[in-house]
Amino acid sequence: MMSALISLFLKLSAFSLVAFGGINALLPTLYDLSVNQEHWINSQTFADYFAIAQAAPGPNLMTVTLIGWKVGGVIGAAVATLAIAWPSSIMIYFLQRSIMRMQDIQKQKMIEAAAGALAVGLVLSASWGIALQINNGIAAYLLTAGTIAITLFTRWHPLYLIAIGGLLGIFGFI
Amino acid sequence: MQPKMLTPMQLFIGFSKIGMSGFGGVLPWARRTIVEQEKWLSSEEFSAMLGICQIVPGPNIVNLGVCVGSRFAGVPGAFAAVMGLMLGPVAIVILLGILYEQYSYMPIVQGLLRGISAVGVGLIASTGFKMLRTELKYPPMLSVIFLTILAATYFHLGIGWVVLLVSPLAFYLAWKKVKK
Repeated sequence: MMSALISLFLKLSAFSLVAFGGINALLPTLYDLSVNQEHWINSQTFADYFAIAQAAPGPNLMTVTLIGWKVGGVIGAAVATLAIAWPSSIMIYFLQRSIMRMQDIQKQKMIEAAAGALAVGLVLSASWGIALQINNGIAAYLLTAGTIAITLFTRWHPLYLIAIGGLLGIFGFI
Repeated sequence: MQPKMLTPMQLFIGFSKIGMSGFGGVLPWARRTIVEQEKWLSSEEFSAMLGICQIVPGPNIVNLGVCVGSRFAGVPGAFAAVMGLMLGPVAIVILLGILYEQYSYMPIVQGLLRGISAVGVGLIASTGFKMLRTELKYPPMLSVIFLTILAATYFHLGIGWVVLLVSPLAFYLAWKKVKK
């Protein structure tokens, strides 16, 4: 188990530095690592861990925590969570200070505008990628589309939507 | 806005709230708590900070914890914010993992999780669409978004390559937007 934990720590630490667009952008890579390469979990468990991470309070990166837990129990969960967070945290700490201290306010605004636009594109592409991986069947895509519409045009608490999705699933519609 | 200071404890508590109420993704809750309830940052400041946190790789919300925490209370503030964000959710998710081991054979549980994951995908996508609204204020920037999506989903480029390819245009348009 020790070697699995070390492998988990090293690989997730490396992923932390390429996860442009956040954890959601990383989901396909995580899938590849944990299902195809290391066989820590199967495809179904991956989708279920994603669902649990969505339904539970807390960041989306809880999918990573669950994979770590599967590999090495509570220690595995801690190792995975730490690994995915520490390299990028150190990077953002220094980067933010240099951007915020920038004397030239126009330059600062420019960096922010560019970064914002890139982020939008990356989040949208990532969600499309995840949909392809996790939704199977037309009903699931309809539910996804409905969720997007309701979230954009109403102020419903996301928890209601998760509850509705769960109920639809329990009654076998999805 | 005058400069404010917060103690690590205040940051820990604030980010615990964000972590524990963040159903279906934490970022909307982060905005609600930091901007609307606690009023630590203005909406513009929050968006700017989030923009930086989203361009830097890594979990956006942890990055945001580091940014907000260190801005108000230095390195201890960053630690406090990230710890507040993670401790509760990690404990809960481990409990749910244990329950999952016990009950995942049941068709009801399987159906439940299928429904939730389809909604989860929608919640992530709608975060993207909400951010898109802000971009509509300067339409030329939409070309950056279009190119990013094209490179990532149609050409299946790795996310690092996408950023490298699209950022020159993003910076050029951002420069024009600022000069305007």
